[in-house]
Amino acid sequence: METRRSPLLNATLDPDPVIEVYKKDVDRTLLRENLKLTVEERIEKLMRLQRLAEEMRQAGRRAFRDVRG
Amino acid sequence: MFEAEPLLKILRQAEVEFILVGGFAGIVHGSARLTQDLDIVYRRTPENIRRLADVLKSHSPYLRGAPPGLPFLWDEETIRRGLNFTLTTDLGDLDLLGEITGGGAYEDLLPDSRPVAAFGVEFQCLTLDRLIEVKRAAGRPKDLEAISELEALRGEPLP
Repeated sequence: METRRSPLLNATLDPDPVIEVYKKDVDRTLLRENLKLTVEERIEKLMRLQRLAEEMRQAGRRAFRDVRG
Repeated sequence: MFEAEPLLKILRQAEVEFILVGGFAGIVHGSARLTQDLDIVYRRTPENIRRLADVLKSHSPYLRGAPPGLPFLWDEETIRRGLNFTLTTDLGDLDLLGEITGGGAYEDLLPDSRPVAAFGVEFQCLTLDRLIEVKRAAGRPKDLEAISELEALRGEPLP
């Protein structure tokens, strides 16, 4: 991996052992699908997911209101 | 939740100078992670502060998480006296950052930003490498998964 150090900070792009562990679980199929999209399509996809997540939150609140008090 | 398209449009149509950072910049680079707000680093010149104050004034800006009813006035003076603002607006949550950890101010980040065109406007977005650097520099445990994804993106060939 390329090594680069910014004069503004101590962080580098050197491999970090902790991040390397996390990286093994990244779903690269999702990334590859996103990379096929334009920037506008990526943003629109995020907005659709956000709306869906909000609908699910509201549905969850309605469904579990009685058991959560 | 926020409405990215109208937020980006009103900011650019008002000629606000800013750079996209944070999770939304990750989306622009292909991230699959959901993000709940728009993070931007804005230029702290008097003209840009005036534009920012004017354009958001009609969108009910308020301090996120603050109790309702505080005498919060969104104007040039407020922006000048502060630096970073986490706001709710009627277009969603917006983080206005005068500086970011490990990245500095607008002028520091601009050389590592590129113009991106979407929704009929053009805005600056931090490069993937710089985004990884600033997230690493922030040193927040919650960013570990996001950084690993951004680094994985870095290794993916563009189709």
